[in-house]
Amino acid sequence: MAEAPCWIAPELESGANILYLQGRWRLAHVPGIAAEVAALRLAGDHCVLDGSRLEEIDTAAGFVLLHRLAELGCIARTVEVRQMAEAHARLLTLVRERMAAPSVASPTRHRGAIERVGHAAVLVGRILRAQVAFLGRVGVELTEMLRRPGLFRLKETVSQFETVTLDAIGIAALVTFLIGIVFAYLLGVQAQRFGAAIFVVDGVGLAICRELSPILVAVIVAGRSGAAFTAQIGSMKVQEETDAIRTLGLSPTQVLVIPRLVALIFGVPLLVFVGDVAGIAGGILVSAWQLDIAPATFVTRLHTVLAPSSVVVGLGKAPVFGVFIATIACRMGMSVARDARSVGEHTTSTVVQSIVWVIVLDAAFAVALQRLGI
Amino acid sequence: MDTVLEVDRVVTRFGSDVIHDGVSFAIQRGEVVALIGGSGTGKSVLLKEIIGLLRPTRGAVSLFGSDVWSASDAHLNELRGRFGMLFQDGALFSSLSVAENIAVPFREHSRVAEELINPLVGFKLSLVGLSEDTCRKTPAQLSGGMRKRVALARALALEPEILFLDEPTSGLDPISARAFDALVHTLSVSLGLTVFMVTHDLDTLLSIVDRAIALSHGAVIADGTIEAVRQSDHPWIKEYFSTRPSTRNGKEQ
Repeated sequence: MAEAPCWIAPELESGANILYLQGRWRLAHVPGIAAEVAALRLAGDHCVLDGSRLEEIDTAAGFVLLHRLAELGCIARTVEVRQMAEAHARLLTLVRERMAAPSVASPTRHRGAIERVGHAAVLVGRILRAQVAFLGRVGVELTEMLRRPGLFRLKETVSQFETVTLDAIGIAALVTFLIGIVFAYLLGVQAQRFGAAIFVVDGVGLAICRELSPILVAVIVAGRSGAAFTAQIGSMKVQEETDAIRTLGLSPTQVLVIPRLVALIFGVPLLVFVGDVAGIAGGILVSAWQLDIAPATFVTRLHTVLAPSSVVVGLGKAPVFGVFIATIACRMGMSVARDARSVGEHTTSTVVQSIVWVIVLDAAFAVALQRLGI
Repeated sequence: MDTVLEVDRVVTRFGSDVIHDGVSFAIQRGEVVALIGGSGTGKSVLLKEIIGLLRPTRGAVSLFGSDVWSASDAHLNELRGRFGMLFQDGALFSSLSVAENIAVPFREHSRVAEELINPLVGFKLSLVGLSEDTCRKTPAQLSGGMRKRVALARALALEPEILFLDEPTSGLDPISARAFDALVHTLSVSLGLTVFMVTHDLDTLLSIVDRAIALSHGAVIADGTIEAVRQSDHPWIKEYFSTRPSTRNGKEQ
């Protein structure tokens, strides 16, 4: 036969449907086989499968055949097999036994716009509630710890402090230094027009210490340490390590969360201070280059115009940011499901939530402090 | 009989650690072979070298007569279509549902029409003894035994000629483990599959395996039928078989 390969040759022999299976019935040929099988028509619901011309058959091809025969009304009782190699017949028997299940249909549901909005709103509510609950739980465990200070893990806390603070000094200093340069430069260009170049000192000092350094440092910490916390705790959750901690009679909150929380409460203000210094250094550099304000003049001016309260406000916001970043990161880590994808999703979510919270809190501080006149 | 897999004088070193020091054996079509050996004797490493995931320091591995480590990428991918691998914990893709996991090989490596994939996936699932409602679950929602079955269905998707199993029964309860053995046995007999497994499980060994290869200190210390391996004088083999009282006298109850 030189024409296109023919997989199945139906013949009528003394009133019975004989289906000659031919050639290599393999997965690779399933598209062709499926097309031929789909075109198959039978007289009655009896048929005989003749395997004398069959070279090979695998389960996929066998399934395609039996699936179609079942559609045509041929079931186990009415399908006979003849002249087939034993292995092939055995395979067809296995396929028939196991194919009883109906086909799979798993339609993916797509949500409409309104449903998505509603879903997101419910989700935000759930996140808020979980955050408050988690803060409460940490608070309870902290009080417990105050009563029994022996529970506090100094070593773990110090090691966390090292990674979240000391190791972040470089990046925090670099970012605030560059922002100090950019800010002083932009401000300088404007101020120079009015011959008020010296006011750059007022602007840079206030902006860096009160707003920019805390915000930037918090964002860096959220991206750096927050993500790390979630990934660490999350993979511990996946490996059932948190369950092991609980089984050993310890509290995961005390072992994992509180050291990280304390590390950030102390670490973030220190990084903000580093940021203050670096940002002002950037300002000094630009002032000296661009605006001919000698560094000594800059510093003297800074002494007189920068209110200590501004620096204190900036540093005071830092621990609050730290608390939120640490609790969000640890809560997200603790709520990881038992698979790898979930760790990634929760880590992303930690960073997003942390940054949003930091900015919301910062806005709240700005309004509140304004009202209080600080 | 044709040789499906041949491992020829494989040497593996990690730094100064010698894992394999000249391991050789050959597997014929239709055999069910178990690779046994204590923890840390490099069984899983050898398996990775066979399926082309880890390059041996020296020596050759050939599958279906072609050398795995000198094959071009295209040729290696073609070879990959001819064997199935069941990883120890299933290694299911956690971002996909069970049905999608099994559909991956069909979508990527066959020209099967989209409307035929779903019935085929359903069939593969029932082939490994799982019911329809498993389909929409994610791997995280499955028990260990079900995860292995799904992974087996995925490994069987492209109708492999040889199936590699890495500790197929570890982490399963004895009942599920025996059921899994029975499943592998049925499939190997009905589909004419060659099976090469790394296992610690004596019950698996005694029930479905034709031939065992024992690895110790980087070399093959015994290779033959279970009965022949059991007769070996090697202390590790003696100890291994004596862990089960009923086999101590070389006889099953």
